[in-house]
Amino acid sequence: MTEKWKEEKWAADIWYRGKTTRRRLVGWGGGAIGAMMLVPAPWRAAFGAAKPYKIGSEQPLSGVGAIGGKTALVGLQMAADRINKNGGINGRPVELDVVDDQSSPAVARQKTEKMVQEDGIDAHVGGFLSNICLACMPVFEHAKIVNMISVCLDTTLTTSHCNRESFRVHDYAPAQAVAFGPMLAKLAKKWHIVYADYAWGQSTRDSYAEEIKKNGANVVGTTGIPLGTADMTPFLSKISGNIDGLFAILFGKDGVTYGNQAYDLGLTKKYVSAGDGAVCESSNMPALGKKINGFVGINRYIPVFQGPLNTPYLHAFFDEAKKRLLKVDPSGPLPDRYVQSNYEAMNALKQAMEASKFGGRADTPKLIEALEGMEMKEGYDFPQGDKTLRKADHQAFLREFLFKIVNDDYQLLETVAKDKTLVPPACTFTA
Amino acid sequence: MASIGQFLHSIPVDLLIIQTINGIVTGMILALVASGLTLIFGIMDVVNFAHGELFMLGAYMGVVAFAMTGNFWLALALAALIIGIFGAALQIVTLRPLIGRSPLNTILATFGISLVLQNYALWQFGPVARKMAEPISAEFTLFYLQYPWYRIVIALLSGAIISALWLFLKFNRYGVWIRATTQDRVMAQAMGIPVPLVYTGVFGLGAAMAAVSGVLFAPFGGVDSSMGLQWVLEAFIVVVVGGMGNLGGSIVAAIFISLLEAYAAVWLDPSQAVIASFVVLILTLLFRPTGLFAAPK
Repeated sequence: MTEKWKEEKWAADIWYRGKTTRRRLVGWGGGAIGAMMLVPAPWRAAFGAAKPYKIGSEQPLSGVGAIGGKTALVGLQMAADRINKNGGINGRPVELDVVDDQSSPAVARQKTEKMVQEDGIDAHVGGFLSNICLACMPVFEHAKIVNMISVCLDTTLTTSHCNRESFRVHDYAPAQAVAFGPMLAKLAKKWHIVYADYAWGQSTRDSYAEEIKKNGANVVGTTGIPLGTADMTPFLSKISGNIDGLFAILFGKDGVTYGNQAYDLGLTKKYVSAGDGAVCESSNMPALGKKINGFVGINRYIPVFQGPLNTPYLHAFFDEAKKRLLKVDPSGPLPDRYVQSNYEAMNALKQAMEASKFGGRADTPKLIEALEGMEMKEGYDFPQGDKTLRKADHQAFLREFLFKIVNDDYQLLETVAKDKTLVPPACTFTA
Repeated sequence: MASIGQFLHSIPVDLLIIQTINGIVTGMILALVASGLTLIFGIMDVVNFAHGELFMLGAYMGVVAFAMTGNFWLALALAALIIGIFGAALQIVTLRPLIGRSPLNTILATFGISLVLQNYALWQFGPVARKMAEPISAEFTLFYLQYPWYRIVIALLSGAIISALWLFLKFNRYGVWIRATTQDRVMAQAMGIPVPLVYTGVFGLGAAMAAVSGVLFAPFGGVDSSMGLQWVLEAFIVVVVGGMGNLGGSIVAAIFISLLEAYAAVWLDPSQAVIASFVVLILTLLFRPTGLFAAPK
């Protein structure tokens, strides 16, 4: 078959007259790529030849955890960019080495090993799904690398599974339960807990059950729902009997599914509806709509500026995060606690690296020493509020916000000071 | 005897009736997803790993069309049409060149397509789940629950769509082409049936059915890039248990498995109840590998 286009003048000009040959195309293309590689990253000019700190970050950027992982990464990048803009850490820039754990513990473990052994990271900030944090913690422990847990909430991370290298700069269920327990006992006397049936959900269920009992109310039933269940109706349909409160411990898409389906069955209208703030995280709110109205929750961060939350730090954090989130999601989600805790975990690491004059992986013991018992003051680095990173278990304590969803928005009910969230440490570090 | 009597007396009849309705509703949605999958396999011998992503893209199309038109049913029709055309184009570009090659090629190709579509959706629509409002918000009292009418409507609508598909395959001229191609593609081609076109049409039809299921299910839990994963996993179980390529078998298997899970949830934890479908799958593969309802050859 004759290829007529080859006879056309424009084709002859381009191809046959030697103006564009394959060799030239490859040559120019290679040259362009080489030139791009030689152009330094924007921050490099400010730091000269200073070797960057390589900070690894394992996040779920695909799979079931992607909803949160994508926003979590925004917080981390925001902190790293701000650090580099303000002169870096100890005069050295920060370079992120981000890997997608695909929401799978096996993949996460493999990629973490690679970050540690091949990429040569100096420290790690990340971890979203608790089962992944649990799977990867021994890798950091073995390699003697500081691991700043930035989202994972499973209680055992800083209790029975604690280790010297891992630190959690945000809250955990026992502290939340202590803060929320008195209000829950006032709201209802007989609770049924619906929880995500995996590490975080199970340990959080136990913490709340204990605190609800301590405050004079009772948990009369529990329903564990497997992660990623698309149709929860057959399981929620079983909830009946002599209860007056329904407490939910679910996150991400499961929070959306629960909020919609529990409302559709009339459960959240019939009983007092409460739970972990993850159910109605700001990234879940658009898909929940009015069905989540009336929900009472607890969270370390809510994107409103009522009362004590009306600070210049929270405004600055909110404005910058919102701008960046718009690039990740065209629907323009508001910042959530995943953005906040990644942002603050990176800033906590920076504070400790500066205090310990951290030079590299060999200085990990000095870095650990600086992190243990570290105080973080409310400001642009820590807009959420003051924090203490307890030495005994590497668990942070911070203020908590109790809220209610009214007219599709958060209404701040109470702020619980960090000192009122303290629980005894339950960690024994191995020598 | 006394213990049997005690057991029968302890059966919560109200919960059993609720779970029967739940099982049938879930089963009908699953049947709709699985019928597209089994149609594609039955005619083209293609195990479509991208079916869950077509389900998800259908739901996203529904959200976009609903935002533009404000009418759920119009959005449903538009989503089915767009994803049907998209599916046909996908078949022409990616699967048609693989006709006649080893089935492993098509498995890898559809798996690759599923990854591309999932990541495309994540990039295009972002990670935040979108809301799709149900067209019917009324509910009725079912023992101690307020049961949404929309779930009942979905079951009926899924049944109607599957019946329409059956009638199409049985009586329509193009349906006869499809059946002829299923029975003997060489002979069908010899009789003048444009087999490549039939393949394209069937893939488009399967994609449209996935899209319809996606839109119908969207109001239950929002729309996001990973929403098709669990449905397609269950649909694969249904297709294997029902007999690969057997439309009627898939429908019966979908309702059977959903009812089994719903009844299991009465006595077991949800995490144990969902194992029921896997137990059925393993038993089927062990004792009747061609499926419970496979036609004798």
